Amino acid sequence: MPTLLVQPTAFTLAARYEALRATKMAHTAEKWQVVGAMNHDDWGLILPPPDDQEIVQAMSGSGVMINDVRLKDIPIERNHPGGGSYGPVAVGRSFRALLDRHPVYVDPASSLAGATMVNFMSYRKQHWNPDLDYSHLHAEQRKYQIHSGIGGAQHFCPDLAIGLELGYGGLLQKIAYYREVNAPEHDGFYAGLADVVMGTQDWIRRHAEAARQMAAAEAQPEVRRNLEEIAEMNDRLATEPPATFREACQWILWYLVTARMYDGSGATGRLDLLLLPYYERDTAAGILSDDDAAFHVACLLLRDTGYIQLGGPDAAGHDVTNPVSYLILEASHRLKIPANVGVCVGDSTDPGLLKRGVEIMFEDRLGNPKFLGVDRTTEGFARNGYPLELSRQRAYSGCHWLALPGTEYTLNDIVKINLAAVFEVALSEMLSESTHPSIAELWERFAAHLRRAVEVTAEGIDFHLKHMGDVFPELVLDLLCYGPIERGLDASAGGVDYYNMCVDASALATVADSFAACAHWVEGERRLTAHGLTAHGLTAHGLTWAQLKGYLESDWAGDDGERARLLMKKAPRYGHGGTIADDYAARIAQLFTELVKEKPTPAGFNMIPGLFSWASMIAMGKEIGATPNGRHAGGPISHGPNPDPGFRKDGAPTALAVAVAAVQPGYGNTGPLQMDMDPGLGRDAEGIEKVAALIRAHFALGGTQINLNVMDKRTILEAHKDPSKYPDLVVRVTGFSAYFASLSPEFRQIVVDRIVSEG
Amino acid sequence: MTIPSIDDSIFVQRFARQPSIVSILPVKMTISGLIFDIQRFSVHDGPGIRTTVFLKGCSLRCFWCHNPEGLRMTPEVQFLPNRCLTCGECVVACGHDGQHLDEDGRSFERQHCVACGSCVEACVAEALTLAGKRMTAEAVVAEVMRDRVFYETSGGGVTLSGGEPALQPEFSAAILAQSKAEGLHTAIETCGQVPWASLEALLAVTDLVMMDLKQVDTEKHHAATGAGNERILANARQLALTRKPLVFRTPVVPGVNDTAAEIGAIAAFVRELVSLRAISSNGNGPADISWELLPFHRLAADKYRSLGLEYRARDLNPPPKDQMAVLTEAALASGVAVRAN
Repeated sequence: MPTLLVQPTAFTLAARYEALRATKMAHTAEKWQVVGAMNHDDWGLILPPPDDQEIVQAMSGSGVMINDVRLKDIPIERNHPGGGSYGPVAVGRSFRALLDRHPVYVDPASSLAGATMVNFMSYRKQHWNPDLDYSHLHAEQRKYQIHSGIGGAQHFCPDLAIGLELGYGGLLQKIAYYREVNAPEHDGFYAGLADVVMGTQDWIRRHAEAARQMAAAEAQPEVRRNLEEIAEMNDRLATEPPATFREACQWILWYLVTARMYDGSGATGRLDLLLLPYYERDTAAGILSDDDAAFHVACLLLRDTGYIQLGGPDAAGHDVTNPVSYLILEASHRLKIPANVGVCVGDSTDPGLLKRGVEIMFEDRLGNPKFLGVDRTTEGFARNGYPLELSRQRAYSGCHWLALPGTEYTLNDIVKINLAAVFEVALSEMLSESTHPSIAELWERFAAHLRRAVEVTAEGIDFHLKHMGDVFPELVLDLLCYGPIERGLDASAGGVDYYNMCVDASALATVADSFAACAHWVEGERRLTAHGLTAHGLTAHGLTWAQLKGYLESDWAGDDGERARLLMKKAPRYGHGGTIADDYAARIAQLFTELVKEKPTPAGFNMIPGLFSWASMIAMGKEIGATPNGRHAGGPISHGPNPDPGFRKDGAPTALAVAVAAVQPGYGNTGPLQMDMDPGLGRDAEGIEKVAALIRAHFALGGTQINLNVMDKRTILEAHKDPSKYPDLVVRVTGFSAYFASLSPEFRQIVVDRIVSEG
Repeated sequence: MTIPSIDDSIFVQRFARQPSIVSILPVKMTISGLIFDIQRFSVHDGPGIRTTVFLKGCSLRCFWCHNPEGLRMTPEVQFLPNRCLTCGECVVACGHDGQHLDEDGRSFERQHCVACGSCVEACVAEALTLAGKRMTAEAVVAEVMRDRVFYETSGGGVTLSGGEPALQPEFSAAILAQSKAEGLHTAIETCGQVPWASLEALLAVTDLVMMDLKQVDTEKHHAATGAGNERILANARQLALTRKPLVFRTPVVPGVNDTAAEIGAIAAFVRELVSLRAISSNGNGPADISWELLPFHRLAADKYRSLGLEYRARDLNPPPKDQMAVLTEAALASGVAVRAN
């Protein structure tokens, strides 16, 4: 039996929830000890047994360097002199080798078996094949701090329905069938896919065997029966498709944990639709209660923090909210751990689901669920030239993103342009080259550099699409897409029908406020009425471009610098409403949108603009010098499309909601509103209704997604001081939620600043 | 400096001025007034999501007032010394010898201040701020309309608060009339210490009246607020005779009205108002009167300090939850819906 398991005090659902949560906390505490700070999704991952752990620095599935723990001695097939493992054959064999060595995990308190302990990506010595050179892009990618996405994995959505219909046995047959149809071409690709499936099947069988052994040794009859059921269920699921609700949850769990292990995918999609037929069948047959159904879903959520859409339109536009939508919401509520459940809010969606979502948000204070402006993303996606019927099927399945399940490849959330870097290039160029610098000139230079940044990004996307399938194909997600098996092509390389490449901009507020501060204090009308220079050399009503240059270069050094910094900070801010900074934010977002939509990539792929920084605000700010909005050199950039904290004194949520709605690019990708609220607001039904109204209004104004936290200032401040006192405090950091205590101190500071100024 | 008494406030001069033709003001007539805040996403001042406009100047001097910057009818500079960088920019900016920085340290000579705002503009640390800004009704409504969609999804609208909105009756009427013309729900929060005509003139453009009832004993009322309650009770009766939805509000303040007997006395008065309304409407329709008990909170200390005012409620403790429960029970004798926040 795995270590750290907490036994339920009785075999009731309530006690089992309690035990599962306690086990989760024990696992999390172990991660704090072994891994340290984790500024990313919780993943539901647990650590390998202590004597089988090794700690490495590795690239996460989200494309950032992390401390990671992996199992020792996995025989990775390295087929490159540099130690890399490339292409479907080597990657497939290596993953199978990992699965073969991966420990089993059976928790007798759970109704499902299986857990991920490692990231396969952490075994890749050199992720990108060095023979595929893109050094011609390096200089400009660095100049504009572009997250190119080259080598980026997953971040699109499979269609679990394929697997639920075929099961692993069926998938293996399908692979064999098309291998023959397409023979001898793509044989290596099919070999890789088959290895993934066979590795998974063996892993499932080992769990069945482990459960059987545990059952044999179990004294308590109801626990024994549960373990026997797990054994029987998994004996079947190694080859057969699921037949019951519980089996469907178990099958989905196997797929999600292997996808998570393979390359970090958490794309789940429309779980309420996927599970509905099983729910209807089992409840009609009298073999499933709602409480049991919610528990099975909770056991699934416990082991994978996948991104789930609840409700929303079918292809014809009718809302699909059903009893399973409520059960999934309820499961996350009963479980009370980080979760990424999204509730659709639109003109025709079920208002009851929104209401229940807001109630849970205020009752649990765990940043769950999040809210999805489904009408806006549907209309927006159609603006790329797609029919509404197709648009409506695009499902929420990642931090801030949606994808068509099984038919679309996107690189969502991993291609980003740091607007602050583009601005810095434009400003320093103007200040060193121009004899008469001006706001107008700064804008022109910014626009020109942003255009170039978008072009460089597009070239990077093409490069990725051309080679990714040969470097690290999507051997798990390919299984549940329409096309890869049929065509023998990886999803990144023509396997699927739609290619809509995500390009996000970050640091909107940093740049909008910087433009506004320059316009207001450096050359605004106010300066013309200045009283003149004071003893400090700073005019009472502004400063010159030369002074600004000096202050930025010195990072606002000295008393004068600090006064200048505060002066610049005092300029109108994006988010206040009706200010010059609000105008700049809208102009920048519009410019960015136009540049991304102006033309496809050189190879002809559609790009879709979004506004998001994920959790990279600290990393993206590290290399940026002081900015005219009063930000210090190296400080974090602003968060997604949000105004910077302190954008207005009352921090009014409506002002925030109006501001973020006004900058949406509008092509189906999102710019999520991050909002933090005081718990007092939801203390009664009227308050809940007001929050629901606020959410509806943001979407009516054009908003696309809302990440909400309910947190009182005192709690978050105390938790910041001593996180160990609040081990189970969960915050929605950005698109994902995580234990507050898991975050690094500087990351916690960002969350605290936001909540203290807005909440 | 202590809180200015009512007699020396400008309100006395204004008070004598009867509202003239406010009820028939054309919607677009330009009229300006003095406000000290416009608070968006206001959720405790009427139904739905609202924007609350705080008008400056009040006819009472409740010693616990949590909006002391709304008391006087003129703009005033607020100074928070803990934010001051002692950079001296305000000294240079001030043309009235109000700001000082010398070997004795930093001081703000409020008696010289004419609230011109020069020092506020020069202060980068925002240690100096100006409470009170003159705005036209159109500008106020434009700001309010930023959140139109939130009013639509929540059944909210605009609330005029203060200070006392009925002390600027033409300005208030213009904001309310323009808001109504935009289709918004309108509400006012009044302390009731105004001529009936001032209040009455707002009713045509007001959907909901929220009015304070602090004490039914006039002497106690005088001691706590600087004025007797005769006019307030008379206005409450007048309001009861209309069909306007009414929410009475009682700030529960230790030593002022925090006993079951005192709340019971207010309950009896509210009960009388319900009867009045029933008689005037021949028993048709619901009374549409409710009552809220709001526990005193002690959050205004910084504001008092910044205004150079003494905070006489600084040592009071907020009434505990169990006491609020007892008072709520006593309030139920009124026969109206009671809500304790």
